[in-house]
Amino acid sequence: MASDETTSQPIRYYGQRDIWGLGQLREGWKSRELLYSFFLRDLLIRYRQVFVGVLWVLIQPLMSTLIFLALFFVLGANRTESGEVTSTWAYAPIILVGMLLWQMVNNSLRDATGSLVNYRHVITKIYFPRMLLPLSSLLCAVFDMLVGSVLILPVCYFSGVTIHWNTAFLALIAALWLVVFCFGCILWLSALNAHYRDVGYALPFVLQIGMFVSPVVYGTERIRDLLSPWALVLYESNPVAATISLARYGLFGNPLPSILGLVTAFLVTLGLVVSGLAWFQRANQWIADRI
Amino acid sequence: MKPMDASHNTTIHVDRVSKRFRLGSGNEYSRLTEVIASNAKDWLKRNLLGAEAKVAFNKEGRNDERFEGNDFWALRDVSFSIARGEVVGVVGHNGAGKSTLLKILSRIVTPTSGRVGVRGRVGSLLEVGTGFHPELTGRENIFLNGAILGLKRAEIKKRFEQIVEFAEISPFLDTPVKRYSSGMTVRLGFSVAAHLQPDVLIIDEVLSVGDQAFQRKCMGKATELGSEGRTVLVVSHNLAAISNMCSRALLIDSGKLAMDGVPSQVIEKYLHSMNSIDGLVEWGEQEAPQSSTVRLRRVAVGGTVSDTPTPQVDIDREIELMVEYDVIQADAVNCVQIHLRDETGVFVFSSANAPSMNSGSDTTFGRPLQQGRYRTVCRVPANFLNDSRYVVSVNLGPEVGQPSIACESVLTFVVHDTGAMRREYLGSWYGPVIRPRLDWSTQSLG
Repeated sequence: MASDETTSQPIRYYGQRDIWGLGQLREGWKSRELLYSFFLRDLLIRYRQVFVGVLWVLIQPLMSTLIFLALFFVLGANRTESGEVTSTWAYAPIILVGMLLWQMVNNSLRDATGSLVNYRHVITKIYFPRMLLPLSSLLCAVFDMLVGSVLILPVCYFSGVTIHWNTAFLALIAALWLVVFCFGCILWLSALNAHYRDVGYALPFVLQIGMFVSPVVYGTERIRDLLSPWALVLYESNPVAATISLARYGLFGNPLPSILGLVTAFLVTLGLVVSGLAWFQRANQWIADRI
Repeated sequence: MKPMDASHNTTIHVDRVSKRFRLGSGNEYSRLTEVIASNAKDWLKRNLLGAEAKVAFNKEGRNDERFEGNDFWALRDVSFSIARGEVVGVVGHNGAGKSTLLKILSRIVTPTSGRVGVRGRVGSLLEVGTGFHPELTGRENIFLNGAILGLKRAEIKKRFEQIVEFAEISPFLDTPVKRYSSGMTVRLGFSVAAHLQPDVLIIDEVLSVGDQAFQRKCMGKATELGSEGRTVLVVSHNLAAISNMCSRALLIDSGKLAMDGVPSQVIEKYLHSMNSIDGLVEWGEQEAPQSSTVRLRRVAVGGTVSDTPTPQVDIDREIELMVEYDVIQADAVNCVQIHLRDETGVFVFSSANAPSMNSGSDTTFGRPLQQGRYRTVCRVPANFLNDSRYVVSVNLGPEVGQPSIACESVLTFVVHDTGAMRREYLGSWYGPVIRPRLDWSTQSLG
């Protein structure tokens, strides 16, 4: 950097009022190379042995899918609403899609929550956009999901389920939506965990409940009749439920959640991201003092 | 009052900056559940029991003005601005607020009030090797660390060769950093930071890490950056380095900017403003080390100018080691002996008030003494010890070598090089335990 260039630069004052934290997004975008480096680091550590890394990412959703399939078989839950018996295998792709999306949520929230705390020795010694740390955990989880989704084709083939290609783009939209939802969550969780360490302890428990509250291993249609219409909207306002249902609708033509449910889920996501940005911006000011 | 505004040449502008830390919650991690529970309890108390829930403030016991209730002011109303190309040293005791200031300047910590402006890119080196990941290889870590310090990937690629060469680690580039020796890690970390080429470089005590060659590399780099028109801010306890490297120095005392000026004057003021706590050990009658004849009451190091003890002495001043004791039995014979070791335990000298070791005269030696308080002073000549920390041990007894009271490592003091012996040589005088000025001359023998 030449010195002439320096004098022409304006003097920048730190910490000017930025209530909504939009400056962070700009700053994060500017240092996207650092984000890439963090992401690469996380990947390198995990995929040091490429074969083992990929195998691990594939085995996790596949094994969970098989376990729940076996569970359904044992419980005899392989019946549709009308009572006719279907092949248990037909559930495999449905569970797999739920699993892939859920593990993205699970892994990103789990890794991102501790990300700031794990890097506290760096945070207290040097400045960089702190948002990049949880964001890099999120990217890794997304990457795993993408690798894992190559399973969808063979699983569909073996279970004899056809993919509705003309609406499959909805699954992509659903996945993207879910990523945005996770972004909002990790903004909250990572900074909260920096101050309140028990957030990290409580999270696995919450995630475990979340998996069953969301239609990860079952289809929405199974509980549709059990819930009153308002309870159903409440159920569907959970963005994880809405996006998984949307993805299944796009891929396999399963029933779509109600419009009201989708709209509330979208509003919940939006609120989470906006408040998350504002919260993270505020947390940024005390994080090095308290972490 | 309108704050002094930054001129076009200013690269760092600190405008009435204060930083407050909350005590108690500083290092412990609070728990969200506890916060919720205590809030719920307060709410219940207020609404159901009608009792006022009040937070108790701990106001007593602290007379320091930096404490205020449960708050601590690490910095208070600090203002200055630094122009381009200045190399500025920051001095002050531990806890004065130097590090907080650097952290605010490098944006790690947000000031409670006031504002900080910087022109251009800031590189800070508050700890060498920050941001290395042990699992990654040296090569991967160069890219990661460079990115954390704010370099673009292409820039790192361009300087990769230089970085590796400077760090002298080329054979180990593809070895995970966890297998590096600490020296290698330090070299690599500094090398990446040194090639960052920021407009403003902030360095905290890095100069005290590593071996002599590494320190010289650091200092050389810092002066080089200054001459290139970059701004450098250094915190160091190495006063000689500051007086040689810097064109200006700031003295931070109890969170305030106490002085801003020429390094030699600032260092002078700093040395004489030191707290005397560490240069002095005193005992009450009960806990004092004692034998049947004498009781040791006070050991102090004096800087020579004033009577107040100080743990910091200048290299070009005489040092007084004072021992005070009560003779509790009439007609006791007492002899005072002092051992001096350096930080690493190397024995520097041993001396006593016996005539054979005394260049002056001490009439009390070997004589029976009246009851009462005595003070024995040992004067160590100026320009004799090196710039290092020394540890004093004191022996009292009826004869030299037969102590009845032996106080090992009773206090320490630091000799500071003010630059008086540094006219020709920049760098640290590592190695020798003493550094006497001797009589040198050369004659032409035709």
